[in-house]
Amino acid sequence: MITVTINGKKIALEKPVTILKAAEIAGIKIPTLCHHDMLEPYGGCRLCLVEIEKMPRLQTACTQYVTDGMVVWTETEKVVEARKGVLEFLLINHPLDCPYCDKAGECDLQDLVVKYGPATGRFAEGKRTHPESYDDPIIVRNMERCILCARCVRMCDKVQGASAISITNRSSKSFVEPFSGGEYNCEYCGNCLTVCPVGAIMSRLHKHAYRPWLIEKEVDTVCSFCGVGCSLTLQVRGNSIVRAVPKPGKGLNKGLLCNRGRFGYDYVGSTNRLDSPLIKKDGKLDRATWSEAFAYIANRLKKIKETYGSNSIAGIASGRCTNEDNYVFQKFMRVVLGTNNIDSVAGFAYAPAQKFFEGIFGQGVTANPMHGIANSDGIFVIGGDPTSVNPVLGLQVRAAHQKGVPVITSGYMQGLKMFSSKSLIPDTFTETTLLASLLTGLMKERPFCGLNSAFEKIIRDIQPVEIKEAEEICGITSKDISYAIDTLSVMTNPSIIIGRDILQRAEGHTNLLLLAALIYLLNGRIYLLSELPNEQGLVDMGCLPDMLPGGRPVTVDIFRKRYEEFFGVEIPSRSGLSLMEMIDAAHANKIKAMYVMGEDVVFNVPNTKYVKDALSKLDLLVVQDIFMTETANLADVVLPSLAWAEKEGSYTNLERRMQMLGKAVDGKGMDDWQAIAEISRMLGFDMDYKDSGDIISEMARVSPLHKDISYKDMADGECIWPYKGEPLRHGMSIEGIEMPDVKFPMIRPERKKIYIGMDNPLFHAESLSRNSAALHSIAPEPYVRINKALAHELSIANGDYVTITTNSGSIELSAQIDSDLPANIVLIPNNFDGKGVFAVMSWRMNPVIKSPAMDFTEAVIKKIKGAEVLT
Amino acid sequence: MLSEKAVVEINQIKSMYHDAQSSLLPALYVVQREHGWLSPDAVEAVGDLLNVPKAAVKGVSTFYSMFRHKPMGRHLIQLCTNVACMIMGAERLVDILKSRYGLEPNNTTSDGRFSLVIMECIGACGTAPAMLVDTDFHDNLTEENIVEILEKYK
Amino acid sequence: MEKFLLRNIENPNSTDINEYISVGGYKAISKALELKPSDIIDEVKRSGLRGRGGAGFPTGMKWSFAAADPKKPKFILCNADEGEPGTFKDRPILEKNPHLLIEGMIISGYALQAEYGYIYLRGEYPRAKDILKDAIKQAHDKGYLGDNILGKGIRFYLHVHQGAGAYICGEETALIESLEGKRGQPRIKPPFPVNEGFLSKPTVVNNVETLANIPYIMEIGAEAYSKIGSPDCPGPKLYSVSGHVKNPGVYELPMGTTLRDIIYAHCGGIRDNKKLKAVIPGGISTPILSPDKIDCPMDFVNMPKHGSMLGSGAVIVFDETVDLAKVCLRAMKFFEHESCGKCTPCREGVGWMRAILERICNGSGNEKDIELLIEVSRNIIGKTFCPLGDGAASVVQSFIKDFRQEFEQHITKEADKEIKAAA
Ligand SMILES: Cc1cc2nc3c(=O)[nH]c(=O)nc-3n(C[C@H](O)[C@H](O)[C@H](O)COP(=O)(O)O)c2cc1C
Ligand code: SF4
Ligand code: FES
Repeated sequence: MITVTINGKKIALEKPVTILKAAEIAGIKIPTLCHHDMLEPYGGCRLCLVEIEKMPRLQTACTQYVTDGMVVWTETEKVVEARKGVLEFLLINHPLDCPYCDKAGECDLQDLVVKYGPATGRFAEGKRTHPESYDDPIIVRNMERCILCARCVRMCDKVQGASAISITNRSSKSFVEPFSGGEYNCEYCGNCLTVCPVGAIMSRLHKHAYRPWLIEKEVDTVCSFCGVGCSLTLQVRGNSIVRAVPKPGKGLNKGLLCNRGRFGYDYVGSTNRLDSPLIKKDGKLDRATWSEAFAYIANRLKKIKETYGSNSIAGIASGRCTNEDNYVFQKFMRVVLGTNNIDSVAGFAYAPAQKFFEGIFGQGVTANPMHGIANSDGIFVIGGDPTSVNPVLGLQVRAAHQKGVPVITSGYMQGLKMFSSKSLIPDTFTETTLLASLLTGLMKERPFCGLNSAFEKIIRDIQPVEIKEAEEICGITSKDISYAIDTLSVMTNPSIIIGRDILQRAEGHTNLLLLAALIYLLNGRIYLLSELPNEQGLVDMGCLPDMLPGGRPVTVDIFRKRYEEFFGVEIPSRSGLSLMEMIDAAHANKIKAMYVMGEDVVFNVPNTKYVKDALSKLDLLVVQDIFMTETANLADVVLPSLAWAEKEGSYTNLERRMQMLGKAVDGKGMDDWQAIAEISRMLGFDMDYKDSGDIISEMARVSPLHKDISYKDMADGECIWPYKGEPLRHGMSIEGIEMPDVKFPMIRPERKKIYIGMDNPLFHAESLSRNSAALHSIAPEPYVRINKALAHELSIANGDYVTITTNSGSIELSAQIDSDLPANIVLIPNNFDGKGVFAVMSWRMNPVIKSPAMDFTEAVIKKIKGAEVLT
Repeated sequence: MLSEKAVVEINQIKSMYHDAQSSLLPALYVVQREHGWLSPDAVEAVGDLLNVPKAAVKGVSTFYSMFRHKPMGRHLIQLCTNVACMIMGAERLVDILKSRYGLEPNNTTSDGRFSLVIMECIGACGTAPAMLVDTDFHDNLTEENIVEILEKYK
Repeated sequence: MEKFLLRNIENPNSTDINEYISVGGYKAISKALELKPSDIIDEVKRSGLRGRGGAGFPTGMKWSFAAADPKKPKFILCNADEGEPGTFKDRPILEKNPHLLIEGMIISGYALQAEYGYIYLRGEYPRAKDILKDAIKQAHDKGYLGDNILGKGIRFYLHVHQGAGAYICGEETALIESLEGKRGQPRIKPPFPVNEGFLSKPTVVNNVETLANIPYIMEIGAEAYSKIGSPDCPGPKLYSVSGHVKNPGVYELPMGTTLRDIIYAHCGGIRDNKKLKAVIPGGISTPILSPDKIDCPMDFVNMPKHGSMLGSGAVIVFDETVDLAKVCLRAMKFFEHESCGKCTPCREGVGWMRAILERICNGSGNEKDIELLIEVSRNIIGKTFCPLGDGAASVVQSFIKDFRQEFEQHITKEADKEIKAAA
């Protein structure tokens, strides 16, 4: 126990903390500028000087740790004099432009000068000048105002790990010289904005439009972009969002955000938003009233159901909609329309992977707190770059690496390039071989734990792949593979981070088995990367062809019976169709009606042309969305929905943490669940929810997993797996899991051919970012990423325009050259209207997972001559 | 950007240290020796080679006053004017360089022959005033002998 | 006194390892390797050796801290940054007696159980770099460095690392940052380098001269060593003397030799029979002294009693012709240029002092400027992150305290100006 006295107040402390912290505990505020709670102590500004008895010099409270018996004074004459002196020094070069500065009103320096008021005007010589810089998208820098506290630099280096900012030069000629037009690897997370105490780094989004005192209300919510579910606060004026800010220390993101979360909210206010229901007449979508639209949908659905049967109808749900929306959606499909044909793009990888792992290890095995990553003793990442798919989760990997935790990555991952102990980049589509060789190596190093002998037997039967073989097939040196094996083999509680790329393969199922074996051997914790904010919610709410809410298989009688009893309706005992099966079935005229909620199917499913053809054949296509998407264009009825910031409800993140959205502004659409409830009523089934809270309480009764859950739990922030209910099954067993063949072909893609793959850029978020002007200002143009050697061979230079042609289509894109990519694959993002990768990608049905295998689309790349004309 | 020789040398330097960034200063020296200055491209290439972020390389290279960020003349005069040299007449030498060669601090003669950088102490105070021309020390400078010395550098 | 640190430097081949051996070099190693590492540290403790880099910290104590830390590997870094203006004492060792330093480093490496040593050499000494590299190679070839020193299975690797022109990198934590390839800004202490230094591992940073004393202690024993010079900080000391003396240069004298002896007995007094006006005793960052203080013994204990510091023992002598206001201005330009920019008072305040001095020196200063200068210096002193800014402020204060008239002579009083204008 340590006792310190600050300003006469005695405080007892468990362990030594800085004087600053101790004072804070005692309720005493010591002014600081360079200190920030999210950063390590720096001691540069010298504003926090305090007097400590028995020490001749003043000491900085931010760096000095308390010792037992220490007596500290924070407001003596000597201290106040020193503070004044420091402020006067700071004003030597700081312009007095508060009237023009957007920071005024929330500027730490301004506040301090007002409080301690240094003598002014004694410095006679001119101030340092530096023009305001607009070199960067989104961010404006005014380095005249910089006080060199280095908070931004430390944030960027130590926390974000982008290392895009540095102080250049030295002495009073020092400048913070960041970003510069993307040249410095800036990730535009804006976390530097959070920590800049003055107006030196500001957002361009609200330049001269934002004044802290004009904010009318602040609404706490979670981000709408990815499965991490960062907490953020929307600041609102009138009916528009002025700014999205993280609150230091708040939420699982603890004050951090990525570029999308911080800047991308502007899609909510986009002029492209739908504002009225539309009904197709004579091949044209016309405005209609809500009741017309509801009646139209109800009638058509009724007829189709009567004529072709329930299973001629299919529904696609969305990971961008809330739990409440998705719960009501599946209920509508099952109870009102009588079909299990419910799926979403979560069915491509996330849901099947979870299902497979849960089948072996028990339900909830992928529900791990994100902070476990930085606290594990090793990390293995495969199938996607966490720093771009789930940026704030990616920071955990970086933090771990900075602490010295070994990180092994498999596959091309730009954002972890500087943060991996070994980066294995296997030749295109050869991960299966690599995984098998890692497993073979590990089996020699690590004994089985004996917890699950049936699974151990399967693992033992897996076809071994020796390092030499893998070297030859994957193009990775034996040395590197051995290094990875050695490093993995000593980990005791590693985190295994898995992205969707590894599953959307012909060998996806085999890869799952290999990964499960690896996880079993290493006793690893699983993290599934999740692109959508409520992908887990889709699964948990039962928006799957084979699962009821709470992850109960529809095929198991007792679960289905409970569900049927609850609603007094019978539902099919067989699984419904997966999304890809629905598309196929629509093509084959077997599905007649499709109800799509919040998903741009045309854009987000491979082989655009095929999907369009399928949807065009439908008798009825209903689309609920916030934008006029390509899918909506094909619809017979379009219903405008509310966007994330306009509604109440909840999301479940990839940790299986349920969090509440906050309604910040009013929208012109209708809640997805409400529209469905209206149609349901017309079809003779009453859904009389007053608000989303009603839905959650019903859901909590239907889903045994979510027993007794309420909004209050979520608001308290600790509504996390395993909730208060009953998981389906703890512990391991492999009964009922469809196991892939343990003998598999070792694929050798032809090195001469060029294949296409999907790029997951940091600056976009699926199709949603298409309507964010802010995100487009960072990354305005679609592109294709091409390996340096290949580009050289084809005489393509960075920025050249090329055509990519496959048997599904052809697109024109500008080339981005990259030396780390394997030579025979090019990557195209799926974030730009009409230029998404799925326009040219074909797929085959993975017969086990029923999801699209997206490997092996061959492409021909040609440089476009006279490319300038294109732009 | 970097010559093959430079890459080999930098890789050799790397083996002297326990982590790559420690070789940053020596690596920048290699490049500066080769090109006479640190061009942005060369700096970037060093960063790539050592896996040090570009911004960090920029921050580091501009911290140290002996790294040059613009092209230099064929010969670099580094003349000390710190106190010991100053009281022994270093400031007059600066004037001479100006009158004789038209050379001002932080500049290069128009024929590209000399560049001049004013130095803080170069550790020759006992034989002040002193200068370095490229890597050669010259001390006990006078208004007469400085020109004589410089004339040997063409 | 018999020379040790500078022994053999007159020999034109002094950097040749055989020459060094022929005058008794590399004997201390054999002696040291017979001892247990902890015995060497005890010996150094008993010798009373205090660091020659400026702060005068007891070397044996520093070593024992690092030795006690269980983390591995450990590092020994030689501070050869010698940036303090007026200082050129390490240069003769580096350029003329490199094996003495190398021998000292090997012994300290063994004592600390550190297998890696780096000599952080200032960029301004290009010749020393080549000489050191060559000497290291020679020592390697002779089996004094490498995997198996003198066949005893002891390992020590030594490299030269060149700085690039930053005075602050002489400060030990900034030196470590710089060695790690970063901007050379000082670190927060604690943790101290002895526990978390280079790459966060236990690290000892010692000045060139300090390390060069180690073989001597091994050779003559702690007992005899502790009898040389001042009792509280014994040993031979290198004084670099520059400015207006007849014979400037580096002198190896017993610690505690008085300034008067240094200037008059050893350096032949003031040149051209001029009068002594002032002395800076320990390099530019130590307070300037007036002639009445020159009987002070030059050591770590006595100098502070006379209002200055031993610093690096770099004596700059000014005769009556010198304009001390200009000297002060030049010194301030130096500090401004070398401020690392991390902390506010030094980064902003030193430049301000320079600006005031500049206007005083160019005749546009006014009467209040001297007071302002004092006030600004007060707002710096004791408030900076590292001693650099403190040094700058105390230099200004010492100049004004003893030589105020030197500044006043540049300032024409407002009243006088009017008279002039009227005339
Ligand atoms: C601003 C500043 C500059 C310094 N420069 C040097 C230097 O050039 N050489 C040196 O040996 N020590 C220098 N020091 C002292 C070092 O920090 C450190 O105390 C010394 O290297 C320790 O070695 P020693 O114990 O052998 O003296 C400097 C300290 C400060 C604060
Ligand atoms: S006093 Fe401050 S600014 Fe000056 S060198 Fe030290 S840390 Fe840097
Ligand atoms: S002051 Fe010029 S060399 Fe020292």
